[in-house]
Amino acid sequence: MRIKFLAIIAIILIQTTGRAQENLTSFLTLPTQLTDNANAVVRLDETLVNVKAIDDMEISQKRIVTVLNENGINKIGAVVWYDSHVRVKDIEVKIYDKNGKQIKKIKERDFEDVSAVEGGTMYSDSRVKYMDYTPTEYPFTAEFTSLVQTPNTANLPSFHPLSYFVGVEKSTYKIQYPTSFTLHKKERNLKEFGVVKEEKEGVLSYTIQNMAGIKPEALSPSEADIKPRIVFALNKFNYDGVTGEVNNWNDFGKWMYHNLLDGRATVDDETKAKIENLVAGVTSNREKAKIVYEFMQNKTRYISVQVGIGGFQPIPAEEVNKVGYGDCKGLTNYTMALLKIAGVESYYTHVQAGSEIVGFYDDFASLAQGNHVILNIPNKGDDIWLECTSQKVPFGHIGDFTDNRNVLVITPEGGKIKRTKKYSLEENLQETTGSYALNVNGNITANTVIKTKGIQYDNRYYLEDWSETEKDKRYKRYFKTVNNVNIDEIILENDKETITFYEKIKFNADSYGVITGNRMLFAPNAFNRYTNIPDRYRSRRFPLEIQRSFFDKDQYEIKLPIGYTIEAIPENVTYETKYGSYSYTITKKDEQTLQYQRTLKIKEGLHPKEDYKEYRKFIKKIVKFDAAKIVLVKK
Amino acid sequence: MRKSILYILTFLCTITIYAQDVEFGDISKEMLQQEKHLNDPEASAAVLYEKTYITTRYIQGQGFQLETNIHRRIKIYTKEGFEKANHSILLYKDRGENERVSGLKAFTYNLENGKIEKAKLRKEGIFTENRSENWELEKLTMPNVKEGSIVEYKYKVVSPYWQNVNEIYFQYDIPVDHIEVVFEAHNYFTYKKHYKGYFRLEPKEEIRSGKIRLTSKSKSWAGNRTSVSEDEIDFDYKISRFELKNVPALKDENFVSNIENYRSAVKFELAQVQMPNDIPQYLTKTWDDVVKTIYRSEYFGGQLAKTSYFENDVDELTAGVSDDMKKAAMIYNFIRDKVKWNGNYGKYTDVGVRKAYKENTGNVAEMNLILTAMLRHAGLNANPVILSSRNHGIKMFPTLDGFNYVIAAIEVENAVILLDATNYYGEPNVLPMRALNWSGKLIRKDGSWSDISLMPRTAAMRVTSINVTLNENGDIEGKQRTQFTSHNALGFREVYAKADKEDYLEKLENNIGDIEIDEHDVKNLKKIGKPVLESYAFTKESQAEVIGDKIYFSPLFFLATSENIFKAEERVYPIDFGYPWKRKIMMNIKLPEGYEVESLPEATAVRLPENLGLYTFNISKTPMGISVVMSKEINSSIITPDKYSALREFYKVLVEKEQEKVVLKKI
Repeated sequence: MRIKFLAIIAIILIQTTGRAQENLTSFLTLPTQLTDNANAVVRLDETLVNVKAIDDMEISQKRIVTVLNENGINKIGAVVWYDSHVRVKDIEVKIYDKNGKQIKKIKERDFEDVSAVEGGTMYSDSRVKYMDYTPTEYPFTAEFTSLVQTPNTANLPSFHPLSYFVGVEKSTYKIQYPTSFTLHKKERNLKEFGVVKEEKEGVLSYTIQNMAGIKPEALSPSEADIKPRIVFALNKFNYDGVTGEVNNWNDFGKWMYHNLLDGRATVDDETKAKIENLVAGVTSNREKAKIVYEFMQNKTRYISVQVGIGGFQPIPAEEVNKVGYGDCKGLTNYTMALLKIAGVESYYTHVQAGSEIVGFYDDFASLAQGNHVILNIPNKGDDIWLECTSQKVPFGHIGDFTDNRNVLVITPEGGKIKRTKKYSLEENLQETTGSYALNVNGNITANTVIKTKGIQYDNRYYLEDWSETEKDKRYKRYFKTVNNVNIDEIILENDKETITFYEKIKFNADSYGVITGNRMLFAPNAFNRYTNIPDRYRSRRFPLEIQRSFFDKDQYEIKLPIGYTIEAIPENVTYETKYGSYSYTITKKDEQTLQYQRTLKIKEGLHPKEDYKEYRKFIKKIVKFDAAKIVLVKK
Repeated sequence: MRKSILYILTFLCTITIYAQDVEFGDISKEMLQQEKHLNDPEASAAVLYEKTYITTRYIQGQGFQLETNIHRRIKIYTKEGFEKANHSILLYKDRGENERVSGLKAFTYNLENGKIEKAKLRKEGIFTENRSENWELEKLTMPNVKEGSIVEYKYKVVSPYWQNVNEIYFQYDIPVDHIEVVFEAHNYFTYKKHYKGYFRLEPKEEIRSGKIRLTSKSKSWAGNRTSVSEDEIDFDYKISRFELKNVPALKDENFVSNIENYRSAVKFELAQVQMPNDIPQYLTKTWDDVVKTIYRSEYFGGQLAKTSYFENDVDELTAGVSDDMKKAAMIYNFIRDKVKWNGNYGKYTDVGVRKAYKENTGNVAEMNLILTAMLRHAGLNANPVILSSRNHGIKMFPTLDGFNYVIAAIEVENAVILLDATNYYGEPNVLPMRALNWSGKLIRKDGSWSDISLMPRTAAMRVTSINVTLNENGDIEGKQRTQFTSHNALGFREVYAKADKEDYLEKLENNIGDIEIDEHDVKNLKKIGKPVLESYAFTKESQAEVIGDKIYFSPLFFLATSENIFKAEERVYPIDFGYPWKRKIMMNIKLPEGYEVESLPEATAVRLPENLGLYTFNISKTPMGISVVMSKEINSSIITPDKYSALREFYKVLVEKEQEKVVLKKI
């Protein structure tokens, strides 16, 4: 269910003002502190967005970038995305050697021009022009200028001057618009990065200067939350010939509904009768919705087709019904149409999908937010969310693709921001139970059941469809702390009613118990050892964010080899921090049998950067405790 | 689990001579009811039937055209197989000379309430994508696809590029039940057939006669009468008919250089053109012809012969140097610093050597032909070697397409030295992985040539000496120094030279896992030909278990191999390491005070058959503590699948050995 519906939104970039910037084309004038953590440094970026009328916008850009090494080439940004509405009027690149002497000029006709249809997308008219240049030495400097004209004013370029591993000497963004318009905006992290703003009637500009490179850090908040970023929207706009006047989400929803959705949610009488027949006698709305959802899942498949009003309009439900496929828009709209027949009210919903949680701003409405569509059923306050592009996902399960974030629910009366379902710590459960026996050679025979729910279910249920060979490989990898695993049996059960996944695995392996002289050592935690210590940063820059909680519960019975007795056994542990808790106990049931019990809880939360070290310590301890060994000695 | 795949392949894959024509649309309930593939129950989809019929026609006013007719019937078993209901046809176009699709018919069949329902592919499901200037994609997505559906389509591609017949596959990533290929060669054209893959492909040959009709119009001198005359030319088609049944899916494995080398396919190569009343035109036929054609090309031999553009530079560079090898080294370094590789492959030059040299950037052919010409100019016995890169696969038959890469070779007494100018950090005889593909052809000045092996003989070494102090809480600290040679040095240089140093260290720390590194130093990074030396000091926590009055630890600590890289129980294709290699660790461990050794793991040695590999592990007490020497080596670039179980066992033993514990006890 990896979906894109805004493939075309990337009309960014471009053009020139003719001022000479000679000192910026030389590496020699580059302030050295800007090259820290940088593969390239933006010497100057001047973006001018000039809205001349509701259907006339010109975007010009001049961008001078000094490339320090091979990884910095794509930071020149000499790329222009366009489609049938966008006119690329002027693009050019000049290349300068390290002394600032011009050595090459690449004109528009020398740019590569290819379709920008991604793999997996059946149709889209999006195209891209890009520079193909092989540097002969590093560092060098490229000056890219471009001018693009478009009648679409619904998506204004945003200003996000910092990307990873790029230094910035100066970057400015200026937007001009007729004074009869209102410009809405959302500004993030300006102060933290010293962004200077200038505002006059009809003109707004921002400047950032002298920033060294930034590198990404694990478990940090999403880019949009930690870097300067400004997004814009005009109160009046044109999109592929459809105009709108939008000041808030309510207006926006209304515009969407009346221009793009209304009248597209009907199907033929035969299908109507089929649905009526399926839900006849069913009284609960939830149950009706489930029947319709499963009908839709069995009838359709996902195909990405970007057509109709800039890729924003769904294929009519009637059409989806006929061909049996559609993209996220088409399938959601189709499900909505079927639910209506069943007497269940539901709403088309825009969302920013992805395992990283990124929500819509509640106080700023724009078309550019969101990349996917799901369906909302209000269900008297107990909202149901439906992912319509998957033929497999259980009814009402959205998982980490669209959970816990602000989304735009579109109704005939207008748009509303709602938050999707959040999965709690207890819901994201993994329960591992089972038993294993060791023989005198240290060989292990094991039998385990792994039960998962919530987001942890998400990470497993697709395994059901894997081939035997892939499953075999997968479980050998899963039990990687046991070497030489031979899988004896894999039984997978997907209970879609309770949304629970069961993995019943039997395996054996040589030498799990390591024999040294007359002793044998083994870690009692054979099935679920935590091994990933998060990366260490020599100096952490961003806060620690754990986006989702989870809960692991383990309970195994261990049969010891005959002829051995316990020499040493790890002491029971309970360990609690603000990031979560960990505990295990080992109890002796009889001379030959031990009982191992373990819990691990990780709590979602946002913590200051100073806490990262503490969190790492917490995980390191868990890794150590999980590796603790029992020592057996020959009787 | 999959006992001897080869055996099954030969057994199931039968060749029948006479085929019953399979009719389009002849879909039965039984086919739709089938829930799993008979021979491969895990298959997500299968090709039930496929026929490729290729012929050449003469169209008056347009000349010869190649016509390819495709008829394909695919059964979808699971949702994973839905993507097989999409199909793309790649078409070439060049200044109005376009390949075209016609006669497209496509249906999806489903069984609904015991009745066969068929849905037609309409224009809404057909998309055209202009991929780039010369390539267009015609994409189909079939309607109403469900688990159990059968999709069937047929179409014709007409191409003005009759000289070029694409490779025809008999094997896909899903099983094929029945596949037919019929190729009609016009008797003006002679084709050679070349095969690859595991199956014996034996065509049935027959002859069919055909006619070319030519109409000519002439106007009378009076001007108002047109007379039409018709001519007919008789000729024969030579037909090759292939039929295979039950072809299993092609499945990739790790350590395979290029799975395409194993896909069953036939290639028709145009070898001769004999137009009526014309002299025959011979195209490529033997390796000798291929090599000579390439050598004589103005984009190869012609470029190699040019020298004036670099003469001054080379003369200046080598002035006063008499030693040949020294000259070679100087030229090799000079060209790599001057001209940068633009990332493009090619046996032929693109912009030409002169321009590449002037603009300091070129493709593989430009760089290495310049290098070869320079070496010759300096008096060395240097020659170009043409080859096929790894991603290009191995062509088992003589064809111009069998080569896409050039390197340079210097012949000295009893030895050949291979050089690749695109390999910035490479040493003589250490070619980049992309060029390490079995063998190449060395072409001498007089046009004579010989096969030359590209497989490295020298093992790439990675040797670590390390001193470790173990503390009584189980933490360790120490210093290590590692030496990298040949391909290992090349790999190290390529990564390290590009990296931000701070970032490299963080990655190194995080890859080893929770280690803290200090005093990091790299020597000989730029001194190509010398081993790279990387050294650092480190501390790492929890490397030993302290339980009661005993300490347990694996004596190679974090350098131990903890996982067997060969997890699958069976193997079909050869294991390709790229080059022979050797890893060695010499470790000295200082024990915490107040502890003595209670027991040590035993020394061991494992050998692979035919001396393909050797693992040794030795451990002993020293006055200060413990000394460990571990060495493992693989002595061949490629290991055949019959040695797979031995190789897997080899790794199993060494992983187990390196997990074994030293036991210390309090004195």
